[in-house]
Amino acid sequence: MFLFRLMNFIIGYVTITVRGEAPEKFINMAATRGIFLWDIARRGEQSMRVNVRLSAVRPLRHIARRTRCGFRITRRTGLPFLWMRLARRKALAFGAVLFVLGLYLLSSFVWTIEVTGNSKVSTADILSVASGVGLNRGMPKWRLDCPAVERALKTKLPTISWAGVYVKGTRVAIEVVEKTLPEEKNQSPAHIAAIKAGLIKEVLVFSGHAAVKEGDTVVPGQVLISGIVPPPEEPKANEPPMSETQTEKTVPRQPTYVHAAGIVRARVWYEGYGEAPLVETGQRFTGREITRVCMKIKAREIILAGPQKIPFLHYETDVSVKKPPPWRNLRLPVELVISKYREVENYRLVRDRAEARRLAGERALKAVQGQLPQGARVVHKQLDELVVKEPESLVRVKALVESLEEIGTEQPFTPGQEPHNQLSAPPETASFPSRQ
Amino acid sequence: MAWREWKKRLSEFLEIPNDVMLNLPRVVLMGNLQAFIENHRGILEYTPQIVRVGIEEGELEITGEKLILRNILPDEICVEGMIKAITFK
Repeated sequence: MFLFRLMNFIIGYVTITVRGEAPEKFINMAATRGIFLWDIARRGEQSMRVNVRLSAVRPLRHIARRTRCGFRITRRTGLPFLWMRLARRKALAFGAVLFVLGLYLLSSFVWTIEVTGNSKVSTADILSVASGVGLNRGMPKWRLDCPAVERALKTKLPTISWAGVYVKGTRVAIEVVEKTLPEEKNQSPAHIAAIKAGLIKEVLVFSGHAAVKEGDTVVPGQVLISGIVPPPEEPKANEPPMSETQTEKTVPRQPTYVHAAGIVRARVWYEGYGEAPLVETGQRFTGREITRVCMKIKAREIILAGPQKIPFLHYETDVSVKKPPPWRNLRLPVELVISKYREVENYRLVRDRAEARRLAGERALKAVQGQLPQGARVVHKQLDELVVKEPESLVRVKALVESLEEIGTEQPFTPGQEPHNQLSAPPETASFPSRQ
Repeated sequence: MAWREWKKRLSEFLEIPNDVMLNLPRVVLMGNLQAFIENHRGILEYTPQIVRVGIEEGELEITGEKLILRNILPDEICVEGMIKAITFK
């Protein structure tokens, strides 16, 4: 049925109204002569509405005369009539052709370049290399040589191991994969020093010489694992002396310098402060919002979507403006303004003391949470309410949090410039002068 | 009528369908929505309530409401609408 209708539309058909004494006769004669009629409906006593193909109209005239009926064309449908109308309106046809042509022409340029996959190499670098090979914004697509750009990116940027350039409509996507270079292991002599004060809980030495032991208190900057490994202890005097030892003793043994490595965990204390008022007033969002899209042409604003009046009493406005990209020093005076109106309302909240204390405690803990490094394990926490003399409508809470965390950090040094006492200091003193 | 009876017997004997042998109309009904009439002899009357179709030996009357003639071909008519009755006269 659909094919039949499509065929009729392409060939073109007319709806005619047949008038006469006996329209049935007209229809019979037309049918017997092989004229295809469809959707025949009675309109009145002496008239019928009939659909007939355009090519059959001429023979129908003859039939109408024979059956003493008359017919009038009431509606024309189909491609031939559409075409005729278009032919009459030349400007419209010309405009349509121009539009298609313009669309085709404008879509054959590169309008945007997108770079993905880069984290170490900057997008600007990639774009500048690409523009060196000719990939620029606004260039025609037919001049773009994707493999050449890929090759240039790979040769000129050594940190890129693979580059792909694709054209997606008017957008060129540059996809790069960076080389993952093996991290160079630093072998220069270094200590492990404390970054914060704490009580040492455990010391695990991979290389170097432990300068502190469990239970020591350390201050920031203090060396925890020394990169200076003292020579092995001299054999005791009461052992049978060998002939060589005598000579060795005269030559002072040199300490070895290593890149210290290890894990030093310590208990670290943090303090945080939080407060909560008993009566809180302020503004908050109600969650209702309205978006208005305007087109701004010079100074005039035309609302494309959204209401004319904002139905909120108090509201906050977020405006984002989209401008067409400038070309040379021409810029279009058209911009799209998208404004978001979010309703706010005033509120007043009254809390009882317990609730305020809980909230203040939460805030205090949150303040501590911000100071805690990653991987820290909270061992103990304590909340104290601070009470001031005169009563106030504010609850202040101090949080004391104890955490177990790694406090060591690498601290390079140059051998030979060490203060002497660091070498000779026995490990139990544990209070090396800070080397900062 | 005798001639017709003869023909009927012959068609039964030769196993030829009756409509071919006797030039009878073949009516196909789709519920009460559509009626296809093959082998007709033209429309005699058409109104939205009644469609009379000429057939070999007599006529066929379709009564109903909002009847329209979906299409007409030299040997086929399709009537659409709310069909109530089909009568041979």
